[in-house]
Amino acid sequence: MRRRSFAALAATAFGAPAVGGALAGCAPSPRPGSRAAGATLTVATTTDVVNFNPLVGNSRTDYWITDLMYPRLLTIDDAGTKRPWLAREHGYRDARTGFYTIRDDARWSDGKPVTAADVAFTINAIKRDKPAGNTTYGQLTNVASAEATSDTEVLLHLSTPDATVVREVGFWMNVVPKHVYGTVGNVARFANTSDWVGCGPYTLVSAAKGKAYTLERTEPYPWAPGGTPSLARVVFRVYPDINTEILALRSGEVDLIANTLPPAQVDVLRHTDGITVRKVPGLGYAHLAYNMTHKPLDRLEVRQALAHAVDYAAIRRVVLQGQAVTTHSSPIPPVLHAYTDPPTTTEYRHDPAHARRLLTQAGYREDRHGRFGLSLRMIYSLQDAVTAQWASMVASDAAKAGITITLQGMDRNTYLAKTDAGDYDIYAGNFAIMDDPVTNMALTYLPDGAINYSKVDDPRLSELITTAQVTPDHDRQRELVRTAARLVRDNVYDNVVYMQNFYVAHRSEWTGFEARPSELLTVVDPASLARARRR
Amino acid sequence: MPTALRFAARRVARGLLTLWFAVTATFLLLRLLPGNPALAVANPNMTKHDQQLLLTQYGLDQPLIVQYGKYLWQLLHGNLGMSFTQQVPVSSVLLARLPWTLLLTGSALLVTVAIGVPLGVLAATRRGGVVDRLVQLGGVVGQSLFVPSVGIFLLFFFGLWLRALPIGGAYSPDASGAAWYGDVAAHLVLPCLSLMLLQIGSYVLTLRASLIDALGEDYCELARAKGLPNRTVVWKHALRNALLPTTTLVGLQLGFLVGGAVLTETIFAYPGIGRGIYEAVTQLDYPVLQGAFVLLAATVVVANMLTDLLYGVLDPRVRTA
Amino acid sequence: MSTQASTAPAVAEPVATAESSARRTWREFRRNPLGLPAVVIVAVLVLVGLCAPLITAAPAGYGPDVLQAPSAAHWFGTDNLGRDIFAEVVWGTRASMLVAVCSSALAIALGVLVAVLGAYFRSLDTAIGTLVDLMLSLPVLPLMILIAALAGPSLPVTVAVIAAFSWPEVTRVVRSAALSVVGLPYMDAARVIGGGHAWIIRKHLLPAVAPVIVVSVVLTASRAVLSAAGLAFLGLSDPRSWSWGRILYEAQQSGAMSSAWWTTLFPSIAILALVVSATLMSIAYNDARNPRNHRR
Repeated sequence: MRRRSFAALAATAFGAPAVGGALAGCAPSPRPGSRAAGATLTVATTTDVVNFNPLVGNSRTDYWITDLMYPRLLTIDDAGTKRPWLAREHGYRDARTGFYTIRDDARWSDGKPVTAADVAFTINAIKRDKPAGNTTYGQLTNVASAEATSDTEVLLHLSTPDATVVREVGFWMNVVPKHVYGTVGNVARFANTSDWVGCGPYTLVSAAKGKAYTLERTEPYPWAPGGTPSLARVVFRVYPDINTEILALRSGEVDLIANTLPPAQVDVLRHTDGITVRKVPGLGYAHLAYNMTHKPLDRLEVRQALAHAVDYAAIRRVVLQGQAVTTHSSPIPPVLHAYTDPPTTTEYRHDPAHARRLLTQAGYREDRHGRFGLSLRMIYSLQDAVTAQWASMVASDAAKAGITITLQGMDRNTYLAKTDAGDYDIYAGNFAIMDDPVTNMALTYLPDGAINYSKVDDPRLSELITTAQVTPDHDRQRELVRTAARLVRDNVYDNVVYMQNFYVAHRSEWTGFEARPSELLTVVDPASLARARRR
Repeated sequence: MPTALRFAARRVARGLLTLWFAVTATFLLLRLLPGNPALAVANPNMTKHDQQLLLTQYGLDQPLIVQYGKYLWQLLHGNLGMSFTQQVPVSSVLLARLPWTLLLTGSALLVTVAIGVPLGVLAATRRGGVVDRLVQLGGVVGQSLFVPSVGIFLLFFFGLWLRALPIGGAYSPDASGAAWYGDVAAHLVLPCLSLMLLQIGSYVLTLRASLIDALGEDYCELARAKGLPNRTVVWKHALRNALLPTTTLVGLQLGFLVGGAVLTETIFAYPGIGRGIYEAVTQLDYPVLQGAFVLLAATVVVANMLTDLLYGVLDPRVRTA
Repeated sequence: MSTQASTAPAVAEPVATAESSARRTWREFRRNPLGLPAVVIVAVLVLVGLCAPLITAAPAGYGPDVLQAPSAAHWFGTDNLGRDIFAEVVWGTRASMLVAVCSSALAIALGVLVAVLGAYFRSLDTAIGTLVDLMLSLPVLPLMILIAALAGPSLPVTVAVIAAFSWPEVTRVVRSAALSVVGLPYMDAARVIGGGHAWIIRKHLLPAVAPVIVVSVVLTASRAVLSAAGLAFLGLSDPRSWSWGRILYEAQQSGAMSSAWWTTLFPSIAILALVVSATLMSIAYNDARNPRNHRR
């Protein structure tokens, strides 16, 4: 009897691992040519891949991987200016027709050439199937259709004049192969989980969900020196916890960490043997939006008081460890030199006494504890570690000016829901890429803008923005934008706290990386990885 | 024998009830608590209209009872639905993670029982002494550890300092052939060790207590009076009965382990279902969440049914209840 | 049908020797070398929690020295925003204990009520037994994650979620103890002499299962500390109050766990100390009051 019970117990305990081991699949067979030293770059990331379809809303890692397979028409340089990539030229034939002239030397991994037909197809498919979470879809509002007039020429037929759509769509959209995506019916439902066809520099060959994603070199790749990407393979490995990820980098199990480092770790890793830290310029900003539909935030003095109660320098020093710069309270990222040199705005002064004066002016009275009867709710996402940290600083500094701010940190989905419903007094968050001021301002400050979190509706501001949207003259557009930025700052329609510069870490034996701005591109941009190599 | 059949039938019925309960509880929780999957995949450029389209696509705009009915109907046909965010069937999502969960859980269970039973016997036979106190203390400390802290320490010590074991993951991407199995085993050591530390306490303490009780029973006194050596009394007679509560514990622990290893899986980057559930929660991927909970409930049901049947086989008193 | 042998109910003893039984329990408890130190540690932690303002100032919003190792100025070092970790641990004792005590109290209240009702009114017993088994079969941590994420992180949610998943275990244990008592002759006798249900439950049933409840309270509370820390680590706890779990969460989020050992070690030790002592205390108590353990 005892033997039987032990046997049963042992059987279960042995059975589970055996079954598990069997199901885990037979051991993979070795890949030819992959053992060459210096040929494989292992990249660590904290987010798992959600799906492999660049047209559907996806996580950061999805973006990095699909970016290595599907080309963009335009890329971006350190100053945030759009530069040619797949599209050699771009612009407008007339007010209602945009165009791209693309290169003729790009190939898909199955040998077929990348043509204007692929570009037109991608645009039309997005408009037709409305994939969830697709950034480009919103940008295509004024586009009626796209047409490939030759192998290298694409025309965008606009329903109303729009001076920004060509640049925006050019940068944000990934071009997918028509001969693959065109066969699936509805691109929004296409999972793209196997038999990947990509343009390179690297194309997926295997994907083990939650574990590792392997991409292999795709030739010819016209953007790499000599037409050949420098690495044989790129492997993305998922480490949900950033601490484990850092340990893996230190032990050499991974060569590069793709996600940007928490500010507190930058200095530590800089001084660690064998590890190099690279700076990546930021392209977005962190901000506080005061909901002007909630009294008393509709009053200018109250908003100004709140703005003066924040200690911007302390936030940049303590939370960001000096890795952030001021935008001078302007909603234009300073890296966009064309718009910000010379600066037209100055940062709100941290001055609690002045804040108190403003509130008294607005009719508030201090009680014997020095508190005004002003209590506001601030929401932020707990998933955003850096914002969560400075949010608490903002609250404690506001208390020094007699303002009570109740912090409401919440998980990302609830945060999105409350943002959507306008259920907050103060919104704290950040935008990763604000690459085109006109488009961004349209979304942020026009009354029906999708990210108009302060619910501002200022006719003067709206006019400036809508005019800029249709002005093809760059200089004129710039002036309008700078004026608009000043207006936003002076009326506290938005309180831009800082712009963060990012840092990524990789092992010192690797070189050749080129940093592209923002945490979306960093050093895993195709141009960078096509040149990375071991010393 | 009709009694045994009735016993088994009751157990199966209870199992089905448990499954239904888990399914319904999850279903209701997801739809009654705040949160909106459309927003989870939203981006700044999505209009209200498009969000509504998404909700319709997910079938979330229909009345609760309709959604429930549809879901149950699908479930009865073995269809777990499609993931909201990954555009693939839920079953493929879960099947990708299940083997690793089984591997981790199974090996942890094996090691725990293999070490826990002898320790429990040791503590019970040397009751009140230093060894007993140490074993008790060890068991309690083990189940009071905070997994992430221990995990990071183990990774640092064995992975970075000693370079003896890999840091995180289930296997190295470039391992192949026969070496792959060794690689999997190497990656399994630390997470398995963490889980073992967590669980061993309850096995040791349970076994110790029931063995002490058993050793005090009359039949053991009789066995000793008959002149049998102590080792025989313990291992051949007392243990047989003392193992019964431990057997039940296996069933209970298995259910906990399969879903509850999320902290271990996070720290060690082990691709199990626990972590999968956490990620599905952050993405509000309802079908995957529902499917995962069905799977977990099914595992618990099967494990409990097996242990209850085992218990019934071993302990005749139970069958007549 | 399953028994938890380590908390097997002791047979209730006749009223006449109630005093000497308590004294005997205490004597046995003292003989256990693990019992007394455990009580002391728990007492110290409770004291620290209650007297936190007297020990050190509340953790500041931020400070100048970020991630400094332990030193004379900061005994436990500083965290990723320059805050003093010693202050965080001391003040964190309050929230951690509060959550543990409240969720345990809630779980006990509910669990005991259900258990006693089930044991006393046999007609309810099958339904209750089934419900308890169903609840015990749910995957606890994933569900806690799900609810905390959806309902929003806050102290009341944490307490409610932990209590909601702890009460079935309490019921299971108390119910088996209560079942054995309910069948005893003196319970029948009490009914015969005309005692009302509430009176019998209060005067006879509850005191008889009290030791089991005591053990349950402590064990539930100690598990609650770990559950709360686990939820906090995943970012699902109240960000406004300091708890040990939150210290670990901030260390994890800022990547400090990989480089600054002091951010992880001290809160982990605090958790370990409380949970281990509470568990040992209840084990020693349980061993002491069980007459079978008394002989040597």
